[in-house]
Amino acid sequence: MLTAAAVIGVGHFISQRQNYETSLERSYQTEMQARIEIAEGGGGQAARRAIAREEADRAALRDSISGDTRDTAILVGAGLLAGLIGALLLFAGLIASMRRPLERLVDAAGRLAAGDRSTRVEVGGLAETAALGEAFNEMATELELEASERDQLDRMKDEFVLTASHELRSPLTSVQGFAELLMMERDSLTERQVETVEIILDNCRHLVRLLNDLLDLARSDAGRLAIRPRPTQLAPLIEDVVRTMRAQTDGSDQTLTETIEPNLPLVEVEPDRIRQILVNLITNAHEYSPERASIQVTARVADAGVEIDVTDDGPGIPPAQLEHIFERFVRGDAGLTQRVGGTGLGLAISRSLVELHGGSIAVDSEVGRGSTFRVLLPLAPPGAVEEPAAGPRAIAEGPR
Amino acid sequence: MTTVLVADDSETILLLMRTRLELAGYEVETAADGQEVTERVDPAAADGPDLLLLDAMMPRKSGIDALRELRAAGLETPALIVSAHQDPSDADAPTDLEISGYVTKPIDFDLLLGAVAELTEKAA
Repeated sequence: MLTAAAVIGVGHFISQRQNYETSLERSYQTEMQARIEIAEGGGGQAARRAIAREEADRAALRDSISGDTRDTAILVGAGLLAGLIGALLLFAGLIASMRRPLERLVDAAGRLAAGDRSTRVEVGGLAETAALGEAFNEMATELELEASERDQLDRMKDEFVLTASHELRSPLTSVQGFAELLMMERDSLTERQVETVEIILDNCRHLVRLLNDLLDLARSDAGRLAIRPRPTQLAPLIEDVVRTMRAQTDGSDQTLTETIEPNLPLVEVEPDRIRQILVNLITNAHEYSPERASIQVTARVADAGVEIDVTDDGPGIPPAQLEHIFERFVRGDAGLTQRVGGTGLGLAISRSLVELHGGSIAVDSEVGRGSTFRVLLPLAPPGAVEEPAAGPRAIAEGPR
Repeated sequence: MTTVLVADDSETILLLMRTRLELAGYEVETAADGQEVTERVDPAAADGPDLLLLDAMMPRKSGIDALRELRAAGLETPALIVSAHQDPSDADAPTDLEISGYVTKPIDFDLLLGAVAELTEKAA
């Protein structure tokens, strides 16, 4: 508005200035004519009056134009100032209208980066920030879709593993069951036939182990690997596992011994799961160590719990393998895996299980000297007494 | 003679169970699903089977549903549930049906026969 006034003012001023110059010129011409008349000896009083009148007119004209100039200058100045203020206000408004959407965008990007895939921004403000907001929302929608597809795929994978391992059990039951039936009649079988059935049974056991391990891992991934810890005495449990495992170590002329500190406090664990971990560790020590190796299981009070160590004097684990040893399907030296019957899942599961108990598992190993796996288990609350298992018993195969 | 009623929808599993149980000296009756079990067993009869060995999952009627009906009708015969689940906690295991134990597949027959002997001695 004021800027427009300044423009009009300037225009007015220019046209006035032109009028002024025309009037001035006309006045000089009139005066000149009067002076020529006087010079030529004519004119007299009338000519002298005309000169005086023109001089007075011009003075008045000058006064008027200088006033106009000042007014115009003030008007123009005010107009320009107003224009500047207007521009500043406009700019400030522009910044303000961009700032809010941009701040919202920054917030939303932060939330999105933090994992909130449902984050969207309010689209608004200037065309540019609105477009930015829309682009952001599109990106967030795509990310959300991808994440939900990935979650769904994960769920499908877990369901698949659970269902597959479940469905495989019935035919496996038949294969193993009938092979066992054959073995019950081993007296009427040839040596060759007995060997054949033993191979079938070995592979059945391996399949069962693989199925159980896969199932445990799928459950662990799905957050469904549950444990039911209760106050437990470790000594009888360790002795029982060692006694069971001796059948295997004796076959390789390996010595398997246990050293249990007297009066171990109760630990808060699910006994079957600790049994599973110990069987895993002892089986590894047995399978990776040569004949006549020595395997020791020790249990003692350590830190805030009870530590069980499984130590062997086998070949040891090279440092490069050691750091991946608890990852799934990672096994010791490939040259040995030919005769090692493990699934490559035992340590990964053992770690999941120990951590579910709130304990920890670690390994020390030196090539040529052997390995020690250390499992730290939490103590039962003070004053706890050992509890038997609750609910119907499971009639399941022995230590896995 | 101690009688065990075995229900499974797999004929080979039934054959396997029958063979092992008969070798151990039991008389074996078989059923292909839970429906047959509820039709066969009369909760009021005194000469019914001494033990039920029921597969948890069968078409038409599951072992658990069959047992639920029989328990509601007053049957007190001990029952073992066979489950392909490794862990009873996976098998929506009901706690109100007086289930004496869960047998997981693959079946450890030494353990199963031990449990059967124990449960039928109690019943006898």
